Amino acid sequence: MFRAPLTARLAAVALFALPIAANAETSLTIAVIRDSNSVAENNFTLTTRGPAAQVVETAVQPDENFVPQPLLFDSWDYADGIYTITVHPGIRFSDGSAFNADAAIAALRLNDLRKSDILEIDPESFVKLDEMRFTFRSERNSALVIENMTHRNTSLFADTADRANNLIGTGPYLLESYDPKVSMTVVRNPDYWGTPRNIDRITYRYIADDNARILALQNGEIDIIADVTPQMMLSMPQDGSVVLHESRPIRYLGLSVGINSVAPFDILKDVTLRQAVAWAIDRDAIAEVLFDGRGVPAKGILPGWMFGLGEDHTDGFGYDPEKAAALMDAAGWTLGADGVREKDGRKMKLRLVAAYPNVTTVKPVPEMVQQMLIGVGIDIELIEVDDAGVYDDTYLEPGQADLFMEMGSNNNTDPTYLLSMLYTTTTPWTGYRTLAPGAHVDALLADARSAQTREEVIDKVRAAHRAIVQDDLATIPILLVPNFVLSRPGLEVPMSEFTDWIDFGMTRVIGE
Amino acid sequence: MTRFLFWRLITAIPTLFGMSLLAFFIVSLTPGDPVMQELRAMGSAFSPEDVAAMRAEFGLDKPLPVRYVLWLGDAVRGEFGTSIASGRSVIDEISIYLPATLTLAASALVGAVAISLTLGIAAVSAPRGVAALLRTFTVVLVSIPSFWMALLLIWVFVMQLGWARLVGNGSLGDLVLPTVTLSLAAGASLGRVVHERIRAEMCEDHVRLAIAKGQSPASILIRHIAPRIIGPLATAWANTLGALLGGAVIVETIFGWPGLGQLILQAIAQRDYPIIQAYLVFMGLGYFATSLLADVIVIISDPQLRRGLAYD
Repeated sequence: MFRAPLTARLAAVALFALPIAANAETSLTIAVIRDSNSVAENNFTLTTRGPAAQVVETAVQPDENFVPQPLLFDSWDYADGIYTITVHPGIRFSDGSAFNADAAIAALRLNDLRKSDILEIDPESFVKLDEMRFTFRSERNSALVIENMTHRNTSLFADTADRANNLIGTGPYLLESYDPKVSMTVVRNPDYWGTPRNIDRITYRYIADDNARILALQNGEIDIIADVTPQMMLSMPQDGSVVLHESRPIRYLGLSVGINSVAPFDILKDVTLRQAVAWAIDRDAIAEVLFDGRGVPAKGILPGWMFGLGEDHTDGFGYDPEKAAALMDAAGWTLGADGVREKDGRKMKLRLVAAYPNVTTVKPVPEMVQQMLIGVGIDIELIEVDDAGVYDDTYLEPGQADLFMEMGSNNNTDPTYLLSMLYTTTTPWTGYRTLAPGAHVDALLADARSAQTREEVIDKVRAAHRAIVQDDLATIPILLVPNFVLSRPGLEVPMSEFTDWIDFGMTRVIGE
Repeated sequence: MTRFLFWRLITAIPTLFGMSLLAFFIVSLTPGDPVMQELRAMGSAFSPEDVAAMRAEFGLDKPLPVRYVLWLGDAVRGEFGTSIASGRSVIDEISIYLPATLTLAASALVGAVAISLTLGIAAVSAPRGVAALLRTFTVVLVSIPSFWMALLLIWVFVMQLGWARLVGNGSLGDLVLPTVTLSLAAGASLGRVVHERIRAEMCEDHVRLAIAKGQSPASILIRHIAPRIIGPLATAWANTLGALLGGAVIVETIFGWPGLGQLILQAIAQRDYPIIQAYLVFMGLGYFATSLLADVIVIISDPQLRRGLAYD
């Protein structure tokens, strides 16, 4: 009986195995820090929020500079508070029904039922023009409705009875399973209308503990960590078993000033002293430490690339302790025998509260800033809090500190969002009224929100940003830092500054 | 016994009332605003009207005493409201995670009892040098924080030996490491109780008589010592079960065990009042139930107490 040589048999096996290998399912397991999904009837966020937002899509998507680009909506026109929308042709929901003008209107109406009506569309104003076109009116004549449609919470989905638990979307993935607080799995939508994703199946695991996420990645149990803290960067193994992916710097680290804090936390009402604090901070030294040296000294809290704001509208503050000292001398705060400045018998003692969202996010910057300010004669009472509720209620809202260390970002394509929420006297985040410079910034941002062209909006935002970080110094910018993702070797993760828009489905598996 | 149980339940009413007061007011007076936390978590602009509407929806616009009365009335009927963060009913939320916590606590208790009996008996019966070593080992186990023990076990059994996985799905295999983590500290602590109780009993006349009569150590332990120490040990075990139910939060978080620990940590961060209040009430009831169980075991195991109760 004829028997083929071993090499020939192996070759035959390999030949038959090739198509199987070519069709092998690609899957990723991604660790995220917590499951924050809600199924409340008026605020369901299942798969519309965070990295799992793959089942449903938004009307438009942000480009690299946070400018809205077509997605489910092909085009839009705006005039006098009225938007005219053309829906992208040929799109179907995962249940086979067509996504057309009727479906888009029904989906947009659902937004009005939510706790937070981001879009502020008049629900009675929808008019269907034809199968693919319709109009609606902004409740407050805003030119920023399309900008706000890049927010994942405004994703469009079929108006079905069980939409809170089982979303029918148009996205590249289908929800396969959801085990609250444990995991969520999505599988590739075979009938997706757009560019098919590279990954067949994505499982999101909710792992709250920093160490557990890192160890699970090293142990090969997960492929990607979506939430990376400074502590994880410090304990990141340097043996090549973990790969760091980073975006452009987007998050700001800054010292917000309690301009409206109550006595005795009122020393910094004098803008000259705020300038002195700004000149006394060595941003390069801090940049070397926080996030393993991946931050850059900041001139503002909005990066220049964002919305095309540019870098020229703010000057920033360098490190010049002599200048800081001269400013304080000129303001009458002279150095005492104990090395602390004083004026009319009052010591320059400031309370610094660190930090929002928590102190672990910014460690060890509070101590570094404390030492830098002591160096120019400012005594710092450092209070570290690791809880946003305590930070808000105990210190920010009642104005019980001079300085508040914060890390955040305008993680939103509405250019007015961050500045309006943090620095106006009318903000619904009432604690932040402590930081508001006053009527002139309120007016600039109100003008920006009511401007009728994008160019006009951006001009007003530039002016408000300059007032906040340069002229009034409501916040003293320190650093801008990127967003980070960790992965096992062999993965190319398509990073985005907008964390909700990191498209993990487009991850490329390389070298395997 | 029935009368004893009846009176225990009656006298528990003021305790439970006090517990409900504490659970409600401690949580409600903690700095932080659940509505603001939830709206900020959405990462989108909202209006003062949105804040007011959400406060009204969760009854947070009413005075604190009114809220307490309404909450207590609902709680007595088994209604604990709706989670502010997830939108599910609190009972649904807790029932999703409670079985995993109960499983972990029960298995950890079984492990702790086994470890405590082994360590306690060995420390009495082993040669002096070995006994001293065991006592040192016990002190070390009691002293190691559970999060550190968890990371140590992960490093050895997950990272080095590959015998276990870190990211499980709540299966029985995934229960082993968290169980061992909790059992070691609890078992070592209980082991000291076992050791002290046995030593105390060994000084009693009936045990010394049994030794003098030449009975075997095993026979003395089973027939003369065990019946006398089972009551106090049951009390210690019941207290340990209560502590394990409430104290497994960190271990559950590190091992990703889908129990109440993860739920409560997230609820505290988000100031999800209904969840935290219900959790505290359930934990209080758990402690009460386990201490009642311990009392019953003590009575059953002690003929003198049984007779005393019968005469009452």
